[in-house]
Amino acid sequence: MTADTVANPELAKAFVGRDVVSMRDFRREEILFVLDLAERFEHTSEPLLGGRVVVNLFFEPSTRTRLSFEAAMVRLGGQNIGFADAGISSVAKGESLADTIRVVENYCDIIVIRHKFEGAARLAAEASRLPVINGGDGSNQHPTQTLLDLFTIRKLHGRLEKLRVAFLGDLKYSRTVHSLIEVLAQFECEFVLVSPQELRMPRDILDDLARDGVRCREEFKPSILPVDVDILYTTRIQKERFVDPVEYERVRNAYRLDREALEVFPRPVTVMHPLPRVNEISTDLDDYEGAAYFQQARNGITVRKTLLSLLLGALP
Amino acid sequence: MTAERLLAEERSIKVSALERGTVIDHLRHGTGLRVLAVLGLSDADQTVSIGLNLDSRRMGRKDLIKIEGKELTREEIDKIAILSPEATLSIIRDFQVVSKLGPELENELEGVVRCRNPSCISNHERIPSRFLVADREPILRLRCAYCERVVPQGEIDLL
Repeated sequence: MTADTVANPELAKAFVGRDVVSMRDFRREEILFVLDLAERFEHTSEPLLGGRVVVNLFFEPSTRTRLSFEAAMVRLGGQNIGFADAGISSVAKGESLADTIRVVENYCDIIVIRHKFEGAARLAAEASRLPVINGGDGSNQHPTQTLLDLFTIRKLHGRLEKLRVAFLGDLKYSRTVHSLIEVLAQFECEFVLVSPQELRMPRDILDDLARDGVRCREEFKPSILPVDVDILYTTRIQKERFVDPVEYERVRNAYRLDREALEVFPRPVTVMHPLPRVNEISTDLDDYEGAAYFQQARNGITVRKTLLSLLLGALP
Repeated sequence: MTAERLLAEERSIKVSALERGTVIDHLRHGTGLRVLAVLGLSDADQTVSIGLNLDSRRMGRKDLIKIEGKELTREEIDKIAILSPEATLSIIRDFQVVSKLGPELENELEGVVRCRNPSCISNHERIPSRFLVADREPILRLRCAYCERVVPQGEIDLL
């Protein structure tokens, strides 16, 4: 435990009732505060949120993010309500998102939303008087994923500063990659961006990195791994983001990591993946020393417990 | 400066003095007709005079628009600032220039720019678009407050 609410009561207070919509809303100091606090929550299952209710509005299907939020709430003694399919909600009857939010906020203490449209969580946060957590909005942001990635990286490497990170796979549509790279850039990390040409990092993010003087290079041969990195952050090529199925078929098997492929690394490299994987990471890597993807899933609960407690003002 | 003197300086445009209205001067050469369209002035009730490709000491060439009996709204000023940041706006009352200013772009623009991202929630719900200024220099870049996509000056889609 490096920082706590006693050390930072002002910061803890400032989080109460706040929304977690985008990593852009958080200063470096605030991010580190959440990560420090999360260390305390790693082994906490006190009923801090007894009597509290979260509503999980999953307009877009998601199993693991939803279950992770639900488990985090249950672990802290709280209750979950919500839906996991927009087809059964009143949205199917044509209700506006703002109206849905204004109705359900009467049923709960905090709202978690996942939506296929980008900016939906921002709109929900504007409409609601309760704190709103973004569980993923289209290809824009997924801040709890970013925080759990940062938490995992810091646990494994002891720091966030000056790491060399390769992002591999779908860099065009992966919101996970977009928000993680923008945060890591604040910590003076260096990047290698490995993707097929069709799935390269969006221009505006590359422009931002260049403007901030971030060291970054692009590689368009995903079969050749950069050996000069500490972390390989891999992503699934997301079929659901492709409008053109022909384009998807062309790139779907762009890369595959297995033990043999990682033999080029002089020492074990940290392999991360937001999951679910399809075939980009072989199961023979699951007991590889650097494999961190299941640890990420575990850390997801920790980070979500931390945020739920922080926003609801119920810290141990 | 009086309105007469202001207009006397525009040697190449022969228009009468404004009793009340707005002169949009120093418009970037080539943007005059676009400004006219964006402000919906071509079929408006007001008398509008437009000068294109006028000589300008400061800019070489410039466009100029004079609108009688109209003062611009915040949204209209923001639109001019996006199209031609160097423009000057002179508000005229009783033939006098009562204020002269650059079209200073606000940090937040509501209902001014359309988000081009088809997956942005602002294109699916009945809400006004909202953009934040990401950069002013070297070129203007706006960020959608909802989907967070950045749009550079040349690709800004005005409502």
